[in-house]
Amino acid sequence: GATEWNVSVWGKRRAFTEHIEKLAELVSEKTGGSFTMNISYGGLSKNTENLDGISIGAFEMAQFCAGYHADKNPSITVLELPFLGVSTLEEEWKVSQAVYEHPATAADLARWNATLLMPSPLPQYNIAGVGEPPRTLKDFDGLTVRATGGIGEALSLIGAVPTSVTSEEARQALDSGIVKSIAFAPHAHMSFGVMEVAKWWSDNLNPGTVNCPVVVNTDALNALSDAERDALLGSVDEAMEYYIDFYENQTMKKWWPLLEEKGVERISYNEERLAEFREKAAGPVAAKWIEDNTARGLPAQELYDLVISTLGR
Amino acid sequence: METIDIGIIVSLGLLVMVVLGMRVAFAAAMAGLVGLIWIFWAKKGYDPAQFGWALTVATKTAGQVPHSKVASQALSLIPTFILIGYLAYYAGLTKALFEAAKRWIAWVPGGLAVATVFATAGFAAVSGASVATSAVFARIAIPEMVENGYNKKFAAGVVAAAGTLASLIPPSAILVIYAIIVEQDVGKLLLAGFIPGAFSALVYTLIIVGIAMIWKRVGPPIGGFTWKERFVSLPPALPIVAVVVIIIFFVYNPFGDAWGTPTEGGAIGAFIVFLMAVYRGMRWVELKSALLETAKLTVMIFTIIWGVLIYVRFLGFADLPGAFADWITSLHMSPMLILICILLAYAVLGMFMDAIGMLLLTLPVVYPAVMALNGGETVSAADSAFGMSGTMCAIWFGILVVKMAEFCLITPPIGLNCFVVAGVRPDLSVQDVFRGVAPFFVADAVTIALLVAFPGIVLWLPSLAG
Amino acid sequence: MAIKASVLADDSLLSRLDRGLYRLETMFGLVSGLSVFALMILAVYSVGGRNILNSPVRGYVDWIEITMPLIAIMAVSYAQRDGVHIRMDILVSRLRGRWLWIAEFVTTLLVLLLVLLLIWGSWAHFQRSFDFAAPLWSRDSTIDIKLPIWPAKLVVPLAFSVLALRLVLQLWAYGRAILLGTDNPVAVPLIEDAATIAAREAEAVTGREDT
Ligand code: NA
Ligand code: NA
Repeated sequence: GATEWNVSVWGKRRAFTEHIEKLAELVSEKTGGSFTMNISYGGLSKNTENLDGISIGAFEMAQFCAGYHADKNPSITVLELPFLGVSTLEEEWKVSQAVYEHPATAADLARWNATLLMPSPLPQYNIAGVGEPPRTLKDFDGLTVRATGGIGEALSLIGAVPTSVTSEEARQALDSGIVKSIAFAPHAHMSFGVMEVAKWWSDNLNPGTVNCPVVVNTDALNALSDAERDALLGSVDEAMEYYIDFYENQTMKKWWPLLEEKGVERISYNEERLAEFREKAAGPVAAKWIEDNTARGLPAQELYDLVISTLGR
Repeated sequence: METIDIGIIVSLGLLVMVVLGMRVAFAAAMAGLVGLIWIFWAKKGYDPAQFGWALTVATKTAGQVPHSKVASQALSLIPTFILIGYLAYYAGLTKALFEAAKRWIAWVPGGLAVATVFATAGFAAVSGASVATSAVFARIAIPEMVENGYNKKFAAGVVAAAGTLASLIPPSAILVIYAIIVEQDVGKLLLAGFIPGAFSALVYTLIIVGIAMIWKRVGPPIGGFTWKERFVSLPPALPIVAVVVIIIFFVYNPFGDAWGTPTEGGAIGAFIVFLMAVYRGMRWVELKSALLETAKLTVMIFTIIWGVLIYVRFLGFADLPGAFADWITSLHMSPMLILICILLAYAVLGMFMDAIGMLLLTLPVVYPAVMALNGGETVSAADSAFGMSGTMCAIWFGILVVKMAEFCLITPPIGLNCFVVAGVRPDLSVQDVFRGVAPFFVADAVTIALLVAFPGIVLWLPSLAG
Repeated sequence: MAIKASVLADDSLLSRLDRGLYRLETMFGLVSGLSVFALMILAVYSVGGRNILNSPVRGYVDWIEITMPLIAIMAVSYAQRDGVHIRMDILVSRLRGRWLWIAEFVTTLLVLLLVLLLIWGSWAHFQRSFDFAAPLWSRDSTIDIKLPIWPAKLVVPLAFSVLALRLVLQLWAYGRAILLGTDNPVAVPLIEDAATIAAREAEAVTGREDT
């Protein structure tokens, strides 16, 4: 019979969801329309509860970000550590996949009855904001910033105050003064309306990125026929390539002219100061991450080493 | 059976439960839960062995909603605004406000009635609840008007109508709820309510002065207040002004960045009024009852919120909002005509339902349809049906439905504000109040027509806020 | 503004249980009211910190999210006891005697069924965030300062359990009214016409205004 999967994502259709849209298209094509995906933007769950929905079995596929709830998915937060030095989307894809395939990660997500399918690689986050721009790293002292996970940790080391809301509430938080600045990848700065009000942009801070996997309900995956499962798993690489191409050739093509057009001030930081910041943030945050997560029974050092070795550093 | 059919049947079931007198919040949650069970079971082809699975998944899905939906920073606005109203009343600020308005404005024809409207508008700027506002002013303003030779029914009508201003002039619990359901900027919506609220007050004033000039005996002018008396009346009313200014600057600061969030503005306002109330003699006993009343009203509103959101979660799985939007946009009628039909439907529904329940039950389906009618969430003003961007349309429609909901507070047969006024004045029957409020009925109809015809009245202020 | 329906009392076991439970419910209501007050203080502190000391409170939003269930849900049974949750009673208010109590019994039974299911669902929601083996027993945390969320999630099944007890008492009261055919049952909020409710509301608001 026909198989229909419900997929829970949030916001509106954007670069960040293009691999899911592509996957749905490919799967339907390969199965002659007998396996379809119904992608719902926010109708099925709150984004911070997509893992709960997967665990319940309310829907079969979902996307979420590790930093929204570190305690739900400690293993993959290793990918959100600051200053890992990832420079391309391909690298981000590769390193995510390596961590996803580690047995400890699989077990971590298995608690939610979830199987990791693919990442949603994002470029380095940078900060856009209103008010007086932080022209030097010192100016970050007391700056409220919407920055989750390791990026928030790193920024707090130079005095910034991470004050997070979900991505959908980010613009509202900026408008109403809850935060003065927001750390996002370029597509999100555009899609969530930040660029309509932003006055400045931290050009070369590059503190890190967030990790937002797409997962499937393990029971639903096992219940697929062989042909359906092959169609699904066999389409992942193509969907990912489409996603990366879309991000690089459509999203980023719009990004730089947009900064120009809106008159957003691009703030470059002194390379020497940045190196000091990296020194100060990268090591201690990673060390703390390893300590905390070893305490929860994860092979944290091993996961961290896996990231570093995959990146060839 | 299509999920859409399930959606329609369950929605009818909800209506039946509401009519049978089940508490609206629980009826909505029940409909949502039953609907979810149905949808999950249908997915398994109604296999009896799978019913347990469907029940479990539906129950766990519904069980997430109460916590997950109320744990939100935006919704924390509601309890703060409720608290501020109770504290303002314990601080005796209402009476001071009316006294000042009286001394300054009573000399015009119908002046006491105009003073009532002004004082109510002022109180509305710290209170989020219409019915409470009418109750307070029925006690303060009607006796004064009657003593000074005003027609009793007219005086009652003024108070009933003016009370409705509380939900339009920020802060307003109803506007916050609208913002949450449609996921729009709370601050901007509150800002948008300001001018239509003031505009409504102005239309009320014009009607009052007009009536008082034509029928001289209905509301004679009252003179004789010296300038000294006028100025002396101002200081006791000042805290309200201070609080209003603070809240406004937190929502929108014309000279720069807003000072904070509307929630924070409400909290600072509440804190100032709290200090006032303590200064005026409020002690633990009074504070305790203010807190208990705040808790009760807050939980009442939030129970509706999570109850209806369980139903909305079910609608999401049934994709009913999408289907209704598709249907509305496929109609061969002008978008403006459809919008007017929707507003008329609200007028009819509002005769029988309370405002919050009505909005929560209808908006999840009606709002996407209206947005689709205008051309979608992201449409630009140039490409849209109503000549405004998606965001602006959301704000405009919000103010329109809130004004409709307020209108329903004074229309028979169930006009809660009129009941409250009649309740305070045993010498007035409900019919008397409905008769007295009739001119304002016309005033509201005119106001709504103008808001529909000239959206700029609503959108000017929020468009300034960027 | 004060909302409170009349609930009759006598010496019966039912009425004593009603008043006993009401004391617990009132306590929950007070916790909820105090949480609103705390939220106000937190906001004042946060604004002061940000604008005066240039040091915003870390985790402001996290604390709000943790507090909200106390404010929004804790007093749900308190409101049920006092008949605060709104409904459309055009139809019910026309019923008299046994028919009225039968109607009330049926809708209350439906609500009890709903609440029992929601206790199950919200308990499961809590359980997914709770893990004895984890640090702070936490398997779900807030976004910035990583507060464990499980205590906030636990509020829901707790408040619903008290509500379930309240509903059982109300069923008992309505059932007794059906059997006895009385017009004035104890332990349940009595329907009044809108004007009576309005009068009492108005009195409660303005009573203090005069003093
Ligand atoms: Na108001
Ligand atoms: Na009405």
